[in-house]
Amino acid sequence: MEIAKDLVAASALPIVLAILKEDDSYGYSIIKRVKELSGDEMNWTEGMLYPILHRLEAQELIDSYWKESENGRKRKYYRINETGLKELEMQRNQWMTVHSALTQLWKTEKH
Amino acid sequence: MFDLEFNIRSWSDYLRSHGSFKNADILEMESHLRDEIDELTQNGLSTEEAFLIGVKRLGNVNQISHEFHKVNSEDFWKHLLVESKDPIESRKARTNIILVIAFSLFAGTLLKVPELFGMHLIDDSSMMFYFKNISLFLFPFVALFFMVNHVSSRKWKVAILSVFVITALIINVYPSFSPNSTELLTAFHLPILLWLVTGLAFLGKEWRSSRKRMDFIRFSGETFIYGVLIFCGLMVFILFSVMLFSAIQVDISRFTVEYLIVYGGSAVLMVSVYLVEAKKSVVENFTPILAKIFSPLFLMTMIAFLIAMLILGKSPFMERDFLIGFDFMLVLVLALVLYVISSRGLHDKANVHDFLNFALIVAALIINSIALAAILFRLSMYGITPNKVAALGENILLMVNLGGLAWLYSSYFMKKIEFQRLENWQTNYLSLYFGWMAVVVFLLPIVFSFR
Repeated sequence: MEIAKDLVAASALPIVLAILKEDDSYGYSIIKRVKELSGDEMNWTEGMLYPILHRLEAQELIDSYWKESENGRKRKYYRINETGLKELEMQRNQWMTVHSALTQLWKTEKH
Repeated sequence: MFDLEFNIRSWSDYLRSHGSFKNADILEMESHLRDEIDELTQNGLSTEEAFLIGVKRLGNVNQISHEFHKVNSEDFWKHLLVESKDPIESRKARTNIILVIAFSLFAGTLLKVPELFGMHLIDDSSMMFYFKNISLFLFPFVALFFMVNHVSSRKWKVAILSVFVITALIINVYPSFSPNSTELLTAFHLPILLWLVTGLAFLGKEWRSSRKRMDFIRFSGETFIYGVLIFCGLMVFILFSVMLFSAIQVDISRFTVEYLIVYGGSAVLMVSVYLVEAKKSVVENFTPILAKIFSPLFLMTMIAFLIAMLILGKSPFMERDFLIGFDFMLVLVLALVLYVISSRGLHDKANVHDFLNFALIVAALIINSIALAAILFRLSMYGITPNKVAALGENILLMVNLGGLAWLYSSYFMKKIEFQRLENWQTNYLSLYFGWMAVVVFLLPIVFSFR
């Protein structure tokens, strides 16, 4: 199943923020996490994720820092901040509204 | 044997020269690529396969850099002057800005020192002194700037600074007698010599590395273009200031010449050096674009000139001044060829610009040989002068340089050699220019008894 481009783009922001809310993370691991969460249905490309991360950073919703991993590789970690959390909450409300509307519609359809 | 490190390096170099990436972006993507490769090799792929797949997944550079560009273009200029996020880098950026300001002030003040001894910039009598020494006032500071920013040993730094000091002593101790040709030659050649010395500070520990030398060539071109642009800005600013004050009958032209031009001029050089150094990895270089625009135009003119000469049956009327003109043509062609080469990936296939370069070199060499034959005949009739020796030496030096390039190009087209050989030839050849400039500046005056 291919998810429509518009939907991928619209959902990217809340997904990134929610993943960062779980824990600080870096690009490669975010992509893996999305894949895992969607049961291999969503394959984000690097060309899409990094610009989003950098834009979120520029909008000061997330912060970044460099950290060395156990094997000595330097990685750029991202951390959600207060503004980011507020933004995520707002996004969450919007998505829940859409979600509940759709759920109700599809529930009545089944009967 | 597949060299993973080498391949990752050439991949990131490619990104650096082809995209709108910041250095931190490239580091981030590089660590991403390494993670990807680790996982793929754990799943049983060889490093080579893992590298190829990883690069492929990271995507088409044009596409990524297009996406990145949307993020980066807004703060494009800002981030050259405003601190970056990385604490180490931002501290470095701040010290560099302070260095630029301090060095511009030092260089400007140093230029004012001779005034204490009655040598004014605008007096005819001391004009020659400034003309001859100008590079000695400015370039040491550029060299110092590189010493702070690039890795080199203490010995190396001391050696470079002593070269500046010794040169300053020698050229000012040398006497000059009418018609002062050797002194003028010194004035023209010293900046080139000292810029190459400054280049040694740029290269630092890696002064033998061909790649690093090519970087210096690239750097010089960009600095020149930035310098010219900023200098135009300075001129507009000065004209504006003079005009504004003249409206209330205050003449500030003397002030502007004595202070604005001296300090502003030093600042133009330092700021250009700083900007080019800082943006190294951010934007596509501009010089190669200029070179690519103009090389077909120059080629057409030169071919038209050759055809016209053949049809009209006119051999060019040659005088000494024309020799300098043809030297200038060779320098131009060399610059065009070099800057086209500088933006080219080592492993790219031969493209239309390579063939244009080749044609340009061949046309220049043909014109120059015809001219040289005519000039040599005339030169031999009037005996030798320092000017002739210098101009002729440069002509031969440039011809050999271009001839070598043409020869290597043709073997490259026939797939006999790697492109790397061309770069090596060019970067090694720089030493010869260094040597000849030193001969003109230090030896010719003695040979011609300072006349």
